[in-house]
Amino acid sequence: MSRVSPLTRRRMLGASAGVAALAVGGRGSALAAPAIRKGSTLTYWGGLIFSDKANKTLTDAINKWGAQNGVHTEVVMVNQNDTVQKVSAAIASGTMPDALDVGLDLLIVLSRQRVFLPLDDLYASIGKKHGGWLAPVEKASLMNGSRFGIPFGISGNMLVRRNDVLSPAGFPNPPATWVDLVAQAQKVVKPPFFPIGLCLGNCGDGNTQINVLQSYGGRIADDSGKHATIKSDATRTYLIWVKDAYDKKLFPPGVTAWDGAGDNNAYAAGTIAFAANTGSIGIAARNDDPDLYKGTAYSSLPAGPLGVISPMDPQLRAIPKSSKNPEAAKALFEYLTQPEYTQAYYADAIYGPVLQSEMELSVFNGKDPILAGLLDLVKKGTPPGYPDAYNAAYADVCSNFLIPKMIQRVVVDRWDFDRAMDEAQRQTQATYNKYA
Amino acid sequence: MRRAFLLNRLLTYTALVFAALLILFPLYWMATTSLKIPRDILRTPSLWPHTFTWSNYRNLIEQRDFLTAIRNSLLVAAMVTLISVAISSLAAYSMARYRTRFRGVFGRLILFAYLTPTSLLFIPLSIIMAQLQLGDSLVGLILVYLTFSLPLSTWLLQSYFRSVPRELEEQGTIDGLTRLGALLRIVLPLSAPGLAAVSIFTFTGAWNELLLALVLITSAGKRTAPLALNYLITTDTLPYGPLMAGAVLSSVPLILLFFLAQRFMVQGMTAGSVKG
Amino acid sequence: MSVTAHRAVVSPATRPRFNATAQHALFAYGLVLPTVLLLLGLVGYPFFYAIFIAFTDRVVGNAGHWVGLANFRYLVNSPDFWASVWNTITIVVASDAAKLAIGLSLALLVNQRLRGRGFFRSILMLPWAMPAFVVFLVWRVIYQPIGGGLNLLLTDTGLYSGYIDWLGEPSTALPAVIVATIWRGFPFWFISILAALQTIPGEQYEAARVDGANAWQRFRAVTFPGIRQVVIITTLLSSIWTANSFENVWLLTQGGPADSTMVFPVLAYFGMQTMQLGQAAAVSVAMLPVLAILVFAATAMAQRGVED
Repeated sequence: MSRVSPLTRRRMLGASAGVAALAVGGRGSALAAPAIRKGSTLTYWGGLIFSDKANKTLTDAINKWGAQNGVHTEVVMVNQNDTVQKVSAAIASGTMPDALDVGLDLLIVLSRQRVFLPLDDLYASIGKKHGGWLAPVEKASLMNGSRFGIPFGISGNMLVRRNDVLSPAGFPNPPATWVDLVAQAQKVVKPPFFPIGLCLGNCGDGNTQINVLQSYGGRIADDSGKHATIKSDATRTYLIWVKDAYDKKLFPPGVTAWDGAGDNNAYAAGTIAFAANTGSIGIAARNDDPDLYKGTAYSSLPAGPLGVISPMDPQLRAIPKSSKNPEAAKALFEYLTQPEYTQAYYADAIYGPVLQSEMELSVFNGKDPILAGLLDLVKKGTPPGYPDAYNAAYADVCSNFLIPKMIQRVVVDRWDFDRAMDEAQRQTQATYNKYA
Repeated sequence: MRRAFLLNRLLTYTALVFAALLILFPLYWMATTSLKIPRDILRTPSLWPHTFTWSNYRNLIEQRDFLTAIRNSLLVAAMVTLISVAISSLAAYSMARYRTRFRGVFGRLILFAYLTPTSLLFIPLSIIMAQLQLGDSLVGLILVYLTFSLPLSTWLLQSYFRSVPRELEEQGTIDGLTRLGALLRIVLPLSAPGLAAVSIFTFTGAWNELLLALVLITSAGKRTAPLALNYLITTDTLPYGPLMAGAVLSSVPLILLFFLAQRFMVQGMTAGSVKG
Repeated sequence: MSVTAHRAVVSPATRPRFNATAQHALFAYGLVLPTVLLLLGLVGYPFFYAIFIAFTDRVVGNAGHWVGLANFRYLVNSPDFWASVWNTITIVVASDAAKLAIGLSLALLVNQRLRGRGFFRSILMLPWAMPAFVVFLVWRVIYQPIGGGLNLLLTDTGLYSGYIDWLGEPSTALPAVIVATIWRGFPFWFISILAALQTIPGEQYEAARVDGANAWQRFRAVTFPGIRQVVIITTLLSSIWTANSFENVWLLTQGGPADSTMVFPVLAYFGMQTMQLGQAAAVSVAMLPVLAILVFAATAMAQRGVED
């Protein structure tokens, strides 16, 4: 933000606001013309992502909107690893911003406490203007009876694979099932090249194994969302699969202690063939290692007996109840759905579209393999948590990494399946009881 | 005699060099990584860089305003150290010399400051800071860091002060000094090693702290060095090159401090001071 | 008087007394006042706040209700809690012992009049020259099975070739965390003990030497009593900090594999991530009794051996 004296700024804003009003009016606005108070302040916490360019695009757009509408905008990028701490502290001390980017889990947990404003009207009007929201987004964004966030991007895991290693080995196509994946891996394993770079440690990537489990028919809890159902034959089948692959030494050593960056680093080091990743691996390769980028292909996650479970994780914008400028925030959210902004943002960020009209954006035309993969994810992916109910208890089970722990018990501690499943079942039930 | 001395020296140097190597190995990796290009760091790990580059450093300084972060850290750490040493010297002197009724209780209570982990403390602390209007400010950070450095400084200084012979202070008061003067002119100079140690602890602790800075500081321009480094790490990407470059840059002031402070750690400042 | 240990010679009778006259008492209390006020406000309040919410079901955004021991009952029934107890104690005891041994030996070594003493001392403080999270990220890379410094070293020196999974195998995970913790933490011991060594008056050593004591006897009679109080306090503080230490486990193993490195701070972190402050607080409060006992025991020991 430039150091312009308050007086000059006000004059500048007054002039540009007039022009902006004409421009907005001329667009046949679907805006219910919320009353934006000129000279007011809007603090915005943006979610910091890997792509510097995308972060800058967001910041610039917000500031530009602020200049056009006479609102003094303060944008701060918050590291997504720290959002929980910052938000907890801000809620407790009453220093929440006027608007912020927030992930689905946090939104679900906090909307239970009515921390955010319901945005149903805004959600509906944006949807109408852009041909409707995509179906999985519709499902995911409804929580506790209302819509508390405006989605702006879909994140999710794709299967990233070393096409330049797998094709010559006779596998030009991605593995259709998890069993196929193991078969392909067996053909190309050659220490220090251990193909299956799927994290089995206590981190977000480790929770991808929940989706593999679900694709085998396993469930965290039953349909009532109250009883843990981890111990089952389906889970046993899944555990057999993972133990078999681990014992065949198809997983790289250390995978049980990986953090979120474990697969990124291993892939960039060229020591794995498969990873489940949101696209950051591809972007890093594009920046640092062109050969690796060329040799990488993206596809949806393989299927289990039940099909493909590939959760889509929406990112949303929300307005805290304590916000001092909710009307301006709503107008800003509306502004950020306009194609000239979304086109620029999606080009650099690693998100899939959320609105029907966004699917037509040129960035998703297939030239960029990562974005094409994300579009595919949006078309074929499943709602978060599906087939389990994505509620606070489910999020708790994920935060405590109970499923990765079960896997670690089986592959490292060499517990038999029943004992491992019993422990996971007990702890999961105890967790669900907390939220009963 | 000479042989025993030489043998002793040889063993000493061997042990020290061995210790130094063990310590330097990870740091060596840090330094060389900061000079490597990203592809080399992961794809071709090696003990010596294939290609040298300054791009990691340039990235930090030019694009991420890292020097501002270092400046902020310097400010915060220096202020915390100065104020902390001043206040805790007073408290430590009282604990060391005066038989007050609550001395034992006080001594115990201040240590309770460390029992609650910061992972829990940060919420009530941010509430307090917000009420004091000190949220998102370096002053607030200084205040919070003071509460963590004071108990340690007080306890350690208290032990060091006790080793200063009382007779020296008595001589001082006979010569016309007040108690405070005795503290300033006699006790403090003689406890130089202790003061140096406490300064090192306080400065380093304040410099390296992350969680409270993360919670209390929001504006980009007020970030401290660890916070600026933390911002390099996004959800699943660890850019080792810039991260290590930042670590190297942020360690320079500390290394200078270590070298300067340890010169005050001289044996036997109290030797021969009591005459007669 | 001769140059003998002055402490022993100055008899109680000739030692002037610092009575707690009213003026002195006021002065004494006045000296500690700033510290007390600061600590009461910024430490006391959060401390009691944390204890209080451990007995509630408080979540972020909602003050919650009093639930008594419910949080603790939940903890006691979860296997990670007991793993944490065992692991935390192991890490603290092992690293304390090692840091004491290393810190003491190094302090004794560099206390001599050596050439390059300043250089060595500065190097020995380097593990402190960067934030904790950087240190443990570096150690994570060192422990990497493929391409990590440790395995590279072992392979290059011919000692062992293979991919030892230091962090991913329960048998080596905890020791690996302990080693990294020791590397990071020993400068604290080193510096405190060095400073303590230097406040021992040289005459005491002279006197002991004149009395015919050898190196070990000199250590026992002069060095050890001189550094005793500092060692006790250092042990206490280091134990508390290690018990509360989060980054060492989180950045290396995240508490895994299979709870083999699960410790209280990581457990509390899990509670925080789901915004359950009550539960996170309960984890920290569970540690309190042991730590409080440590504080009392250590301060008693420290105050005891001191003549006044």
